[in-house]
Amino acid sequence: MTSTKAAALNKPAVRIVSTYERMKRNGIYRVLSLIFGCITLVIVKLVQRAGSASNPAQARREELHKAFVEKGELAALKAEAEAHLRRKNQFFNKHMSDEELRREAEKTALLALEDKVNAQLELEGVDTRKTSGFQDTFIALLSKAPFFVFSLIVSFPMYILVLIYMMPYLKYTVDRLAMLVFVVLGVIILVFSILFISPSDPALNILGEKATPEQVANFREVYGLDKPYLSQAFDTVKRIATFDLGRSYVGNENIGEAIARKFPVTMQLAIVSMALALFVGLLVGIISAIRQYSAFDYTSMFVVLVALSIPNFWLGLVMVLNFSIKTGWLPSIYQVGNWQSMIMPAIVLGTGMAAGIARMTRSSMLEVRSSDYVMTAKAKGLSERSVTFRHILSNALIPIITMAGMQFGGIMGGSPTTEKVFSISGIGIYIVDKEFLPDVPAVVASVVYVSLTISLANLLVDILYTFVDPRIKTRLKNY
Amino acid sequence: MKTSEYQKRMNKVKLSGFVEYKNLTFSMGATIMVGFIFLIFGYDFIAKTVSLGMIAVGGLYLLTALYMYLVLRRARREILTTGDIGETTRRMGWPMTFFIFLTNFFGTIGGLSLVGRKKCIEFQLCIFMLVNTMMVMLVSALNIFKPQIPRNFWLGMGLLALVEVFYIVVTVMVVKYTDEKNIDPRLKVLLIPLVITTLTGNFFALILAVTMFKRLYQKNKEISIEWIEIMRRLFRNYMAVIGLLVVIFLLSISICSYLTFDYAVSVENNYEALFQSPSLAYPFGTDNFGRCVFSRIVFGARISLVVGMTAIAIPLVLGGLLGALAGYYAKVVDNVIMRVLDVFYAIPSILLAIAIIAAFGASTATLVMAISVYNIPVFARLVRATVLSVSHSEYIEAARACGATNPIIIFKHIIPNSLAPVIVRATLEIGIAVLSTSSLSYLGIGIPSHIPEWGNILRAGSSYLEGYPYMAIFPGLAIILIVLAFNFFGDGLRDALDPKMK
Repeated sequence: MTSTKAAALNKPAVRIVSTYERMKRNGIYRVLSLIFGCITLVIVKLVQRAGSASNPAQARREELHKAFVEKGELAALKAEAEAHLRRKNQFFNKHMSDEELRREAEKTALLALEDKVNAQLELEGVDTRKTSGFQDTFIALLSKAPFFVFSLIVSFPMYILVLIYMMPYLKYTVDRLAMLVFVVLGVIILVFSILFISPSDPALNILGEKATPEQVANFREVYGLDKPYLSQAFDTVKRIATFDLGRSYVGNENIGEAIARKFPVTMQLAIVSMALALFVGLLVGIISAIRQYSAFDYTSMFVVLVALSIPNFWLGLVMVLNFSIKTGWLPSIYQVGNWQSMIMPAIVLGTGMAAGIARMTRSSMLEVRSSDYVMTAKAKGLSERSVTFRHILSNALIPIITMAGMQFGGIMGGSPTTEKVFSISGIGIYIVDKEFLPDVPAVVASVVYVSLTISLANLLVDILYTFVDPRIKTRLKNY
Repeated sequence: MKTSEYQKRMNKVKLSGFVEYKNLTFSMGATIMVGFIFLIFGYDFIAKTVSLGMIAVGGLYLLTALYMYLVLRRARREILTTGDIGETTRRMGWPMTFFIFLTNFFGTIGGLSLVGRKKCIEFQLCIFMLVNTMMVMLVSALNIFKPQIPRNFWLGMGLLALVEVFYIVVTVMVVKYTDEKNIDPRLKVLLIPLVITTLTGNFFALILAVTMFKRLYQKNKEISIEWIEIMRRLFRNYMAVIGLLVVIFLLSISICSYLTFDYAVSVENNYEALFQSPSLAYPFGTDNFGRCVFSRIVFGARISLVVGMTAIAIPLVLGGLLGALAGYYAKVVDNVIMRVLDVFYAIPSILLAIAIIAAFGASTATLVMAISVYNIPVFARLVRATVLSVSHSEYIEAARACGATNPIIIFKHIIPNSLAPVIVRATLEIGIAVLSTSSLSYLGIGIPSHIPEWGNILRAGSSYLEGYPYMAIFPGLAIILIVLAFNFFGDGLRDALDPKMK
């Protein structure tokens, strides 16, 4: 009964321990596993110590080592190594202090001695393979159910780490998420510090020039502005970490709610303009890549460059002038729920993105087109259409998707100029409005929200790849 | 007669040997394009009205294009039959050189290269140098129609005319005394005056001086000069050179405007001339304070260029240094620097700029700082990647194997080889910095609003979009022009500096 159970546990134990050994090579994971698994690891180490004393091979090895040293072999080896080193230094004109020379010689001598001991051991028929006693002991202990359960309870965080490490996709995601947390932390501290060292004082700006010193002091106390830098920074980080974005200085409104109100508007606009940009950009890019150096290629690339150089607020103004003021076809101000009012902002936001996508599609497709596997595909007689779409386009999509992901994140973060032209109450113009005071909690919270959105969009795209692209998949297998 | 595929290709090879022919083709193409743009915008599709001025300009452009087409056809026939462009055809280039007075500077470029009969890079530079100063003079000359001519106007115009005459002399000498292979040592006298005239902002003169200097003081005639090779490759790309011409033109006009333009017209209120439509006295009209929009745009070029260039130069040095450190020292230093910069990179550029401006108040210095800060990670990443790839390449290993010391490897191999992508990126980033500057000014948090800057002019114009649209349209066109110029020039520079293109 017990033996079958031990056998059943042996396999996972081996997997766990081998993963643990791999994990030890990775700096942060090593430190974390040492902290989280200290109780289990200490017990294993103790058991190994107790066991190694009774190991006959180890005992024989130590015996031989002692014998060789007593015979004066070590001293002879050391002298030889020293002489060798001196000759070498002389030849290369290298200077070395005596102390250094001796240390170096000793190291060489010890290695040589070990070789000798090993040779002797092999003659005697003793197994000289170096096995980590620790690893074996760990496996043996884990195969026993009571210890397994015990260590699982005592150091479960370590086992979670091991579990993460076992699955490459999960590990990749967790790594990226951990990095994201640090970046967001950095963003909070950075933006807060910039606003903290600002010479302009929100208290005076809000209360006005005529405010009495008591009023100013009171304001500062209410918002914690009288505290030192570190304590204020810590408070800000703590607040945002607990998803409490705080209240703005002006109007005392809940910042979290204010941002949440702007979210659906921005999201809707982002999706429409992205769809537009993807459609136009991919179409233009593909055609110019297929017909490289044609009139269409030249014209469209010229137009793309122009589109990249147009300031989007100017494009917005010109569109308003032509389609709202002169003809009255479209409303010039964005209203929630009115699809007609969304056309112009979507086109304005989409133009730059479409241009970027078209350029990227063209260059990426041209790059893939000159690769060997496309030549192979053509050589085996595939039709032009199937080569273009199945082989070239699908392989060229990766940088395009990256770019589109970044652009999408970019619009989700709001674009203050376009929002101003069309009077959209988005996140971008919200930050601009708040920055004059400066309304520190509002600005910090919105900038953090925007950076988080963009980073998450990028992360999502990167994770999507790992499922789509076989090349990344194999690379991750060895992650 | 049907020409075979082979014949066609042979013709192409023959024609490609003639820079004049290529210049002329591109000039004609550009002229036709501009002509059509004028024609299209001359007709208001919504109001169904025709603007006579625009149609006239467009028609004029198309007429000049027709003339160019006829000359082009003649030249083509002569090249294909006799192998050279005939004397009469070359003389037909003379009228073309005066097209600049009809605002068509493309024609002048094509005409001059036809008349000059030289293919060397020096002559190409001369053409653009001449055209640039001529354009500055013509644009400045518009001030004659102002009710009050600027105080130093005639002094400035006189100086410019002197410089232009000197350039003509230089061009004639270049045509007479140089060709592809040889250069007359007597041309040395031109070098210093050429460098001095660069003070007018005409950097073509500087490039020409450097090129001539390199050839005059060349020791071994067999070795090709890298600088000249790069210039040659750059000048093969017509759009890139036009981009360079626009950038240098804006630089020149922002320098020359100290003399030939009146700053007061662009900042002081003039209640007698509120909201005037475009006319000869006020080419782009006047704004809500009676200020001349044209002068404001000319003075805005100065600010845009200065802000754009400093806001790229600072991160180029700082970010480059950080990136080089990270790339060179790897491991811990690399990790620390890059993770800190990741934080800066995570915040969208415009929001980081807004946060910095929020902290230190809206002023030009803050704006430069804000744009610089968010460009630091851009350059750091680029330099790091380049240094990493260069320092792992075979030729560095070879240099090390030959016994080169670290300083020699860094200064002779790593830096020169990492420079090209950085220069190209910097050129493209200047355009983006100009865009950001005007965006921030449009939001009211960039350059203080009384200073004539393109974003500010646009912001003022956007309030009067209904009645006086020209106030918002022209500064926008100026922004597009400068950004487009930097984009074209940057793209051309990338091709010219790419060692694979050799």
